[in-house]
Amino acid sequence: MMDRLRGTLTALAWLGAASMASAQGVATQGVTVVAKAAPKPAPDATSSATTPAATMRTPYGAPDLQGYWTSTTVTPLERPKELGEKAFFTPEEAAQFAKRQLATPEPTGPGTYADVHYNMAQFGLEKSQTKVAANIRTSLITDPPDGRIPPMTPEAVKRNAARAAANKGHEFDSAQNRSLSEQCILWPNEGPPMLPVGYNGNTQIVQGPGYVAILQEMIHDVRIIRTDGSPHLPANIRQWMGDSRGHWEGDTLVVDTTNFTDRTAFRGSSENLHVVERFRRVDADTVLYQFTVEDPSTWARSWSAEIPMTKVKGPIFEYACHEGNYGMANNLSGARAEERQKAQGAK
Amino acid sequence: MIRVLAVCLVAAAAIPAWAHHSFAAEFDPSKPVKLVGTVTKMEWINPHSWIHMDVKNADGTVTSWMIEGGSPNSLLRRGFTKNSLQAGTEIVVEGYQAKDGANRANGRDLTFPDGRKLFIGTNPDEKTPDK
Repeated sequence: MMDRLRGTLTALAWLGAASMASAQGVATQGVTVVAKAAPKPAPDATSSATTPAATMRTPYGAPDLQGYWTSTTVTPLERPKELGEKAFFTPEEAAQFAKRQLATPEPTGPGTYADVHYNMAQFGLEKSQTKVAANIRTSLITDPPDGRIPPMTPEAVKRNAARAAANKGHEFDSAQNRSLSEQCILWPNEGPPMLPVGYNGNTQIVQGPGYVAILQEMIHDVRIIRTDGSPHLPANIRQWMGDSRGHWEGDTLVVDTTNFTDRTAFRGSSENLHVVERFRRVDADTVLYQFTVEDPSTWARSWSAEIPMTKVKGPIFEYACHEGNYGMANNLSGARAEERQKAQGAK
Repeated sequence: MIRVLAVCLVAAAAIPAWAHHSFAAEFDPSKPVKLVGTVTKMEWINPHSWIHMDVKNADGTVTSWMIEGGSPNSLLRRGFTKNSLQAGTEIVVEGYQAKDGANRANGRDLTFPDGRKLFIGTNPDEKTPDK
């Protein structure tokens, strides 16, 4: 039955008559029930996963990256130091590692800060409850060979320390002192480059002639990327997510992004951040996402990572950050309450 | 100007790293609450759902509370719809009250009066490991 659904998807992709988005719509009906009843499908040649990527095309002939994808992963961005230059696990090691990562978290103690949260498992937000693309890499970072972000330059260390120091003691002064994500401006993983996030790590890709649009659930922005050979914006125009321009190299979408603001500060980067992303449809269920970042004002050398994105059901629930941002007001009012308590205690 | 450049990672180690905001700044671990009442409204706001409920006090008066919960996206993906939690449903909430003393709490555990979890389970389709 699962295979039949997959077959439906494949057929639609072959026909090129419907977008992947509507194919997903087909797949959303009754899948839950089907998955419970059906025996685990044996891997075989009819699996849509083996559909040659080269056959997946948009009606106008471009490689088809469209659909809903998740980058949720158990693979860490940086490789644990003790693994040195071991870039891959054996399949057995990978399975053990994934099992540990997906284990139920330790229960939190009553009356502790760690307990002050909603139960992630009840809301289906633990990674073990979501679809995760298999990966035998020991880190998402593929270069440098140690799988770790290169050390920051002294200039960057100083710049970031100055920022942190300027906000120290003022973290709750106003909404503007809170993080960009709390202000609903930019999620730290949003990029570019796009990094996996703990939950809601869903992405939708839509294509049209001369354009690719990427929507990430977290935090709601749609990146509209021209693939018509047009140049970047003038250097004096700076944007939170930079300015992305794409082109096709064979079946790979290559996206070049510059024109970041210095306030974007991706992992402490400066406005000189330059990101090159590559998207390639590997099979019906997978888009391989690779990126290289460079910023001579921040890191001594460039670094690169590779993240498999696996297909998930749509649609993506709208991220209505501002509408629901009670948390901002509550955080600030909580800080005022603490200040009053301290003032009373000092009397 | 530089003050607005707050770097994003404000969460302390004990707080789930992917919380949209600091729960520790919002709620007070020394104010545990257990609320029994009826749902008046559920706000489906990504990434935090908010459940509004009325709690009847011993003296017969009613106090309205707001309960912060998880992302509606994961509930939607499990087939939960806007009609799944109707006004009037009786629920039990255990959590911690807001630091400022308002009638808001995080929904640490949300159950029906018979102990069943209000939201539970995983979409088997989403869980199926791939390849």
